Amino acid sequence: MKKVCQNWATEAFDDNLVNGSYWEAFEQNAKNASAEIIHAEDLSSAQAAIADLIVTLKAKSIIATGDEASPELASVYKGIETMGTPIYTNKFAIAEHAPTADLGISTAEFCVGETGSVCVDAYSYEARVVGMLPPTHIIILNKNHTVKNVTTAFQVISRVFKRGYMGFITGPSRTADIERVLSLGVHGPSRFFIIAVDKMENRRVQ
Amino acid sequence: MSGQNRNLREEIKEKLNNNIMQTALSRFADQYPEARRKAYANVDDIEVLRDDLRDMKRKTVDNIEQIANEFESSVKSRGGQVYRATDGDDLKQHLLQICRENNVHRIVKSKSMATEEIHLNKYLQQHDLHVRETDLGEWMLSVAGQSPSHMVMPAIHLDRKQCAEFFTQALNEEIPSDIPFMIQTARRVLREEFLQADMGISGANFGIAENGAIGLVTNEGNARIVTTLPRIHVVIMGYEKLIPKIEDASKILRLLPRNGTCQRMTSYMTMIDGPTPVIYKKGEEWIEEDRKLYIILLDNGRLKAAHDPKLKEVYQCVRCASCLNVCPIWTLVGGHVYGHIYSGGIGAILTGLLNSMDDFSKFSDLCIGCRKCESICPGKIPIPDLIDELRSRAIQEKGLRLPEKAVFQNVLSNRKVFHTLLRIASVAQKPVQSGNFIRHLPLFFAGMTKDRSLPALAAEPFRDRTTRLFKKNPKAPVIRAAFFSGCNLDFVFPDTSESVVKVLQNLGVEVIFPEGQNCCGKPVLGMGDRATGCKIAKKNIEVFEAAKVDVIISACPTCTETLHKTYVELFQNDPAWLARAQAMAAKVREFTSFVADEYKKAGRLVPTKKKALRTITYHDSCHMKRGLGIFEQPRALINATTGYKFTEMKNCDKCCGMAGAFGIKYSDISLPLLEEKISNIKNTGADTVAVACPACMMQLRGGLDQQAPNIQVKHIADILAENLPH
Repeated sequence: MKKVCQNWATEAFDDNLVNGSYWEAFEQNAKNASAEIIHAEDLSSAQAAIADLIVTLKAKSIIATGDEASPELASVYKGIETMGTPIYTNKFAIAEHAPTADLGISTAEFCVGETGSVCVDAYSYEARVVGMLPPTHIIILNKNHTVKNVTTAFQVISRVFKRGYMGFITGPSRTADIERVLSLGVHGPSRFFIIAVDKMENRRVQ
Repeated sequence: MSGQNRNLREEIKEKLNNNIMQTALSRFADQYPEARRKAYANVDDIEVLRDDLRDMKRKTVDNIEQIANEFESSVKSRGGQVYRATDGDDLKQHLLQICRENNVHRIVKSKSMATEEIHLNKYLQQHDLHVRETDLGEWMLSVAGQSPSHMVMPAIHLDRKQCAEFFTQALNEEIPSDIPFMIQTARRVLREEFLQADMGISGANFGIAENGAIGLVTNEGNARIVTTLPRIHVVIMGYEKLIPKIEDASKILRLLPRNGTCQRMTSYMTMIDGPTPVIYKKGEEWIEEDRKLYIILLDNGRLKAAHDPKLKEVYQCVRCASCLNVCPIWTLVGGHVYGHIYSGGIGAILTGLLNSMDDFSKFSDLCIGCRKCESICPGKIPIPDLIDELRSRAIQEKGLRLPEKAVFQNVLSNRKVFHTLLRIASVAQKPVQSGNFIRHLPLFFAGMTKDRSLPALAAEPFRDRTTRLFKKNPKAPVIRAAFFSGCNLDFVFPDTSESVVKVLQNLGVEVIFPEGQNCCGKPVLGMGDRATGCKIAKKNIEVFEAAKVDVIISACPTCTETLHKTYVELFQNDPAWLARAQAMAAKVREFTSFVADEYKKAGRLVPTKKKALRTITYHDSCHMKRGLGIFEQPRALINATTGYKFTEMKNCDKCCGMAGAFGIKYSDISLPLLEEKISNIKNTGADTVAVACPACMMQLRGGLDQQAPNIQVKHIADILAENLPH
């Protein structure tokens, strides 16, 4: 899958800027932005959390990315599929099913404490539609990858952003265009879940 | 809306009577400051962020060609195309060509003010292209044939019922005024548009020279879909959006969402650098290819502005529209009155630069110079100063209207003629005067006295009282001060001037009143007549040089600001007079801040412990608080005064609506501002309102005289003088 950076942890991060210390600020700000946060010890508990959500959301069709870069994640998706819900991970299959899928799953590179934003590398087409077209979006991320604020986030980004498509997602899609009443899910997802994994295989070697 | 035959007064009246809009805007104006404060609660120092943004933008505009070249080559080296459009027509033709070359039929757009500026949609539709706005507010307005009334909240002037009508009209099916239902309907309808579109057109919140990326900040996510699904992406952006480095984007992003929508970050912040993959179905087959990327940089007056020493400051604008959110006038009249696309104070400036000076002139005086906008602008743009600058250029180009010309050049610039006329007026007004107020004026002035009395000119101006007053000057003065009264304190409120003298004399100050002093010149300068303003300034400088004093005291913040700041700016290109203006400026002191300093030195600035009999509140004058930065001193002086219990009012620093000549020219707007102020005063339960500005005093006394005659308005000088031994 095309990415702005194939390995953010080794090419863009350093311990001074990216570590776990801004998690609490991130969590608070993300919740304020209507993100729903689920904690997971590791990817197998993440899989259990996703399975629960599929049941709650009555999801019939799933599109997902991030499996190419992570064999562990690929096996999570396989595990979900064996439970009976189709999960499309091939880019053409994603494109085809994006307009009708109930759930999109993708990954994020790091979290921004100051704003509750997750930084997503969405160079590939499929990474973008997964997060935009279905009514629910789940982001899986490593909770040890947090930066303090937008300034430090851009220090990190500027190291690797040579071309492509990337940015921040901060909660679900929203509008206040009618009477300034907050409404979720106008064009993008109305629900935005973050599964925060403590032990994730691509964690930087300390 | 930029037609020649606008009747601005009628439009304003209509907006003031539009209850739906009035409710929406006043509720928003009420909630915005607190919501913004919360968004910034986790920032150490807003000022540091604002300075960073301003400095970055200043450096960029000074090298705009170089930055634009770097941006262009960054985009091209990644496979994107760049076109520089000189104006709207140029851009439209080029875009049409792109559409034709690529066999484009359907277009989806995410918000781009630059395309509003050149009325792009209309043009594309005329050429048989199917164009859809996808921002919910913009979409509703395009259905209704309206233009946005706010850059960030385009449909803020509408309520849910009106929105439902537009939905019904657009979709040809009955849509109830249920907000979630309307949102879901928009999602369904616009999703089809996205999926079928050949081309996406977006604006850009920034464009990075270093890597050629553009950045988009949205909440709905429509920009993300517009730049993802269609196989062609066209970016239409102004030169002012360019920034040098990737890291510079953070300087915009830490301020723009907080000021614009009171969010720490919008839902989506998207950066696109070069062509990116798109997957679509060609015939029966799914294919992946690089999306075609075209970036069009729109000039339309921007590059000329970049080389203008004053107006280049518009490049510091990030289009957050917070200048509207705090503007007392926008809050009353909404955005459409401003005629063109960009509304409010910054809108007036952008209209003058990007559209036409004629359109600017029609509504430029809707800025009352209260400086609220300047105090929160992320890029620290001195919006009222830029409006003044443009006004003055318009006058230089076109000249003043005849009646104003006659008054300014023949009366105001000649002290003797002006003062003689004022004396005649003080006698002539007798038949309509009642007590200290003019309650009824001849018919053509009727609007001025509705719900508000205007003060009568005093029978004995201050300048006729000086001989008697100065007999009490201290024998061994510590300081020699010249009093600059200004017109109001000389001819309308001479008793307050007496209080000023009394308080100063009590401090051991010798007070003199140079008789040759004239109006400070603000009314003339405010209308853009710099030539007459310079003439008046020179006269005053000469008079005060001859007075040989240590300080020049003014008890009017507007006069103080004019003497202290404006005179120096007037003579920037005249070294001899500049030096003289600077020497004078160095001596000018605003009354309350001078007295507070002296009281402090003397140990007199301590809160009084005596039992208070009366409750007092304080109204901050715009020029005093945001022009001079003086707001603590008057409060400290009140607290040190016996007999008063101090209480703050809501929105204590919001304009009272007088704002020099504005209150008289636009009485329809001035009065609602006055009414709001009076209700805030009444709600404190205070029986006295302190002010430090004679113009505010005139406005508040006039309003309270008719609406709450039991509440007194007093200048701080009067309050202090009452406390002194007789």
